[in-house]
Amino acid sequence: MSAALQFRGVGKVFETPTGSLRALSNIDFELRRGEFLSVLGPSGCGKSSLLALGTGLEFPTEGVVEVEGRRVDRPVTDVGIVFQTDVLLDWRTVLGNVLLQIEMRRLDVGRYEPRARELLRTVGLAGFERKRPYELSGGMRQRVSICRALVHDPHILFMDEPFGALDAITREQLVMELHRIWNETRKSVLFVTHDIGEAIFLADRVLVMTPRPGSVEEIVDVDLPRPRSVETRESPRFLALVAHVRSLFVQAGILQESR
Amino acid sequence: MTTMSDRSTVASEVTAAASPSNASRRAAKRVWFTRASPLVVIVALLVVWEVCVRVLGVPAYLLPPPSAIARRMVVDYRLLAVNAWVTLGEVLAGYALAIVVSIPLAAILAQFRVVENAVYPTLVASQTIPKVAIAPILVVWFGFGLTPKVLIAFLICFFPIVVDTMTGFRCVPREVIWLSRSMGASQWKTFVKIRIPAALPNIFAGLKVASTLAVVGAVVGEFIGADRGLGYQLIVANGLMDVQLSFAVLVSLSLLGIALYVAVDLLERLALPWHVSHRAGGAAPGADRS
Repeated sequence: MSAALQFRGVGKVFETPTGSLRALSNIDFELRRGEFLSVLGPSGCGKSSLLALGTGLEFPTEGVVEVEGRRVDRPVTDVGIVFQTDVLLDWRTVLGNVLLQIEMRRLDVGRYEPRARELLRTVGLAGFERKRPYELSGGMRQRVSICRALVHDPHILFMDEPFGALDAITREQLVMELHRIWNETRKSVLFVTHDIGEAIFLADRVLVMTPRPGSVEEIVDVDLPRPRSVETRESPRFLALVAHVRSLFVQAGILQESR
Repeated sequence: MTTMSDRSTVASEVTAAASPSNASRRAAKRVWFTRASPLVVIVALLVVWEVCVRVLGVPAYLLPPPSAIARRMVVDYRLLAVNAWVTLGEVLAGYALAIVVSIPLAAILAQFRVVENAVYPTLVASQTIPKVAIAPILVVWFGFGLTPKVLIAFLICFFPIVVDTMTGFRCVPREVIWLSRSMGASQWKTFVKIRIPAALPNIFAGLKVASTLAVVGAVVGEFIGADRGLGYQLIVANGLMDVQLSFAVLVSLSLLGIALYVAVDLLERLALPWHVSHRAGGAAPGADRS
């Protein structure tokens, strides 16, 4: 059985007016089916390039990216994407924003509407279907964008620092909700983040990246039992994993011991 | 739980809005004051004008007081209305032509870099020619009828609409376009469902600027050569040293411009209720961006 997503020796060089810039070099990993894989790294390590390559919005300079065993040579459409900004359309209602996914794919809106409403209900937005995005808080808006990414039941969910723009408390709420949704749906998820705790809490495995050019430092297995809860974050195993990942960053010179 | 707290915040805000508390009464007063303050300024200016003219004894053939202008407008109501009707026709025709040409052109320029590269510099260069300077040539070409006025109104409105509309089509964030591509949407579908609605606030901004310019264009056209219209009437009144009538025409022109602007603004409010600049006070319930 092929992996949901596979990177084989992938490198990416961007041509800029001031010369070429290497974003990624020699990336090898696979996202297994039904797996939650966190990609963790500091800013500017090419995490977001991974997402662009995985969804066929960019193409690798070297190596091959495969989705469901097929080489990616055009935008991959059997995916849901959540960006750091919610990118909701201001002129559409909450429900209309979720159903955009269906309209753009020329699917039957009537058939998917109950599902869209159900998704909104599960993230606590029942009763907000007719509201416009500007009437919602940042956390609520990002919940809508998660619903939009899930409504067509995609095989892979890509999330690019989806909670990066939120305050700490809203962020924790959404991490818990994402964990619950993932537990129920078991989608293949590629979750890009720069938050160590978030990466470990959610994931089956954490891909730790080093910066410039981005490459895989280590893939850490997260052997924490599921479902995870608030207490998980205080368990010795969780803390040990956090310490391990942090030591990787110290070794790579990204984090420095204070003297 | 997250959802509970969200809901209860909204609920409490709704009840607060429903009960006429002191705070909401104060807010209502503030809204009333905001609405009335421009009117207060205008009335104050008129009063100062009237008083100055009377106290300083300025002769009416130099600067008539507002009361005299108002009286003249009533007396010459028919003359002004007939001419305003002519000018309005020119303004609307020129404005409509500019809209029909500018928006599709801007859409093409914004979509295709190649076209923009080739055409935009010429477009900008053409804008450095003062429209007033072209007007006499247009009269030579098209005579004294409706056509040159419409064309000048068109030329003067055209560029602001193009520039603002282009900005609008460009303002769509890269992520939205990515999202659209990941949904397998065609360029056309992305354009219709995302780029056009996203551009509307900017398009309306351009339309508003152009609405006042259209009046300028038509009047310039009438100055050069016409036998009717408010611009023509202004030239005639000046020739007769009838300053009172000149002012009456100026006020009529201004009212025409205001009417057009208000119409566009109203249309915008109807078409874009979601648009940011129209949110009362800037914040809606629950929009605390937490």
